Amino acid sequence: MVQYNFKKTTVVPSGKDFIDIILSRTQRQTPTVVHKGYAISRLREFYMRKVKFTQQNFHEKLSAIIDDFPRLDDIHPFYGDLLRLLYDKDHYKLALGQVNTARNIIGKIAKDYVRLLKYGDSLYRCKSLKVAALGRMCTVIKGISTSLAYLEQVRQHMARLPSIDPNTRTLLICGYPNVGKSSFVNKITRADVDVQPYAFTTKSLFVGHTDYKYLRYQVIDTPGILDRPIEERNIIEMCSITALAHIKAAVLFFLDLSGSCGYSIEQQAALFHSIKRLFMNKPLVIVCNKIDLQPLEGLSEEDMKLVMDMKAEAIKSVIAQGGDSNDEGVLLTMSTMTDEGVIAVKNAACERLLNQRVEIKMKSKKINDVLNRFHVAIPKPRDTKERPPCIPPAILEARAKANVETEKRKLEKDLEEENGGAGVYSASLKKHYILDDEEWKEDIMPEILDGHNVYDFIDPDILQRLEELEREEGFRLETEADDDFEMDGKELTEEEQALLAEIRRKKKLLIQEHRIKKSTAESRPIVPRKFDKDNKYTTERMGRELSALGMNPTSAINRVRSRSISRRGRKRERSLGREGEAMDIDNDQSNKKLRAMSRSRSASRSRSKSRPPGEVTPGEGFKDSTQKQKAIKIAKKSVKVRNKNARKGEADRVIPNLKPKHLFSGKRSIGKTSRR
Amino acid sequence: MPQGDYIELHRKRHGYRLDHFERKRKKEAREVHKRSAYAQKALGIKGKMFAKKRYAEKALMKKTLAMHDESSSRRKVDDKVQDGAIPAYLLDRDTTTRAKILSNSIKQKRKEKAGKWEVPLPKVRPVAEDEMFRVIRTGKRKTKQWKRMVTKVTFVGPGFTRKPPKYERFIRPTGLRFTKANVTHPELKCTFNLEIIGLKKNPNGPMYTSLGVVTKGTIIEVNVSELGLVTPAGKVVWGKYAQVTNDPENDGCINAVLLV
Repeated sequence: MVQYNFKKTTVVPSGKDFIDIILSRTQRQTPTVVHKGYAISRLREFYMRKVKFTQQNFHEKLSAIIDDFPRLDDIHPFYGDLLRLLYDKDHYKLALGQVNTARNIIGKIAKDYVRLLKYGDSLYRCKSLKVAALGRMCTVIKGISTSLAYLEQVRQHMARLPSIDPNTRTLLICGYPNVGKSSFVNKITRADVDVQPYAFTTKSLFVGHTDYKYLRYQVIDTPGILDRPIEERNIIEMCSITALAHIKAAVLFFLDLSGSCGYSIEQQAALFHSIKRLFMNKPLVIVCNKIDLQPLEGLSEEDMKLVMDMKAEAIKSVIAQGGDSNDEGVLLTMSTMTDEGVIAVKNAACERLLNQRVEIKMKSKKINDVLNRFHVAIPKPRDTKERPPCIPPAILEARAKANVETEKRKLEKDLEEENGGAGVYSASLKKHYILDDEEWKEDIMPEILDGHNVYDFIDPDILQRLEELEREEGFRLETEADDDFEMDGKELTEEEQALLAEIRRKKKLLIQEHRIKKSTAESRPIVPRKFDKDNKYTTERMGRELSALGMNPTSAINRVRSRSISRRGRKRERSLGREGEAMDIDNDQSNKKLRAMSRSRSASRSRSKSRPPGEVTPGEGFKDSTQKQKAIKIAKKSVKVRNKNARKGEADRVIPNLKPKHLFSGKRSIGKTSRR
Repeated sequence: MPQGDYIELHRKRHGYRLDHFERKRKKEAREVHKRSAYAQKALGIKGKMFAKKRYAEKALMKKTLAMHDESSSRRKVDDKVQDGAIPAYLLDRDTTTRAKILSNSIKQKRKEKAGKWEVPLPKVRPVAEDEMFRVIRTGKRKTKQWKRMVTKVTFVGPGFTRKPPKYERFIRPTGLRFTKANVTHPELKCTFNLEIIGLKKNPNGPMYTSLGVVTKGTIIEVNVSELGLVTPAGKVVWGKYAQVTNDPENDGCINAVLLV
């Protein structure tokens, strides 16, 4: 079945956008690089491709528009008429026709220019022709831009039309304006139609859905109709007429008996008779609304006659369809205000619609295909013998029992109710335990922790013990309070006191020093220890400090002094001495090893011949050693002040630029780590 | 309100969001920044298109502003001296305008005579022969070079048949034959697509005229019977001259101006 969903129609761009889209697509999706030196055939090919590509795109887009918009003659006549009505058929057809012609013209232009391009003899000429071709195509589109704008508006409106399925079960509600149609729809569906106390609140078709007998019914609310010739009806009324004319549905004709809608019953009856042809072959229900204001029984005689006429007319149509002539469900009364009879109206309408549809289906040719698929066989009785179904006695017994044994089990909930309700009653968790002996249920369970029974570690008289202990402790504290001990230097000897004072003084000094250091922090220049006279490492200073700490410095000083080379004598003598010792000890060393040792020594001797700093070597550029020494002295003197002040000199290590710009800008792709 | 207009329905029932107008104002205020960001970002053809659009918008805005300003701004009123105004000392003289009229009419006549040969495009670029023709090599060994193909747009009459190939020196390809021209009437400022009757003159030479080559500046005769022009005598004009104003081989169409 055809689904009517106009929401899927693609957007129609405006003329300008259309051109932009197509041209930018040509630019993006065809090659862009061309040179004068190319072979002429290649040049021609290049530009021909552009022209053809543009034409193809135009063709695709325009075809999409033409195909997307429904053809009024092909869709369901209800939609066909509705669209014809809403969008002015001529205008609609004209717009689509213009799009179609534009498509053809563009095709022709492309053909012409491709032919001309075949005779192009230079890049310039080919390019000019391409420009001309594209320009002419765009001009064509510019010409139909009003049509495109119109189609876009139609599309937007169409997408918002209520999705009415013309073939499904439908209730159609019609009547004069302001008789309570929309209120009824609001009562039986969730359509949420606007209800206001003035005529023509509903200006278009509204759809809602309701259920009856597990089937979904579509309910269409129509705008009010006035009683006048069809040529004078406006678009709003024509919507209703279109729906009435084309949709196979149960029609609910609404009557306002009270006349509070502003139209008398006579007028409403006249409308009924003028449009009754539209109700042919449809289940018709005449609904008298607003009975809370004016009940049906209280009508005047003339009005009653009019209503009865309508009813007769409706019954006539029922009979014409071959239905029985009972008049139930033809004339119903209700009040949307008090909800009286609303459901009855809905049910009656749905029932009659369903019956009619089933009947039609039964009459149709296709029903045979369905009917002959299922068959209930009823065998003919061959004799008078009774053959009841055989049911085994066990089952019969079980059935009988099942009927008896429906006694209610006592639930925990009932127990709770009996024993004081929620919060008072506490359910026993133990009573459903499955144990060998029933009595065990209430036994206390041992608590096990880390494999031990907790009870084993419980001392029954622990509180007593604690009391005893506390008493003892209190006693002890009392005795201690008597002989309090205090340290205040009285017990110290003279010597000890002096030492203590010394320690404290020293501590204070250290703290002070540390604070000074801390307060100046890093701002002060750090003088190398080598040039710092106060902090220079000297043996005297070491001696002084050690003795200040109360140690004897002599051995330490001696050790340092013993290391000085001048005292230790010459290298050769020292090594000789050592060797002599070794020889004494290891007399049994092999000759070979000894020889190796001596050889290595002789080699090292020749290497370790160092020169005194003042000696002149050829190539240094000094005349003699005095001159060199002088130079060295001058050099040392020149850096002396700077070194003393711990300033930076030329010999210091220097990084001229910590973050060179060229290494911190740009991307670091392959091979660009150190150079950019 | 139709059923599908859920946004309008919601607004009708609950009104706008509390910050709706604030958001709207802010969005509008941001718009200029966004536009400027795009203007700076857009490159190439997109950038050009955007700049052109903006320029047009700005020009229009300026014009509107100027129009609104006009009512309030002060400007100099220039007293125009009426035509034919005479200083006081000449008021007593007789005006002799007749002679003037006579000479004017003579001038007019001369002008008309001269104007017969005056055309909108008095000068055109000469077209060299090797640009006009392409040499076609013929013969079994392709050694003969006496054949030429016209590379420009040509016009041939409706009853044209080609000569036998053996004698056809100039080939006028069918793809480049045109029968219609877009002719502009300079006074009506209208353009009509008219049929070409014939070629009057090609400025590049009589040979091209006889071949029917249409280049820029060529005078063609077009069928103006559709226009319904009438001669002073009351006869219907059906053929009129027009001058080609474009390079037809580059544009794929012949544009011409009617000579009136």
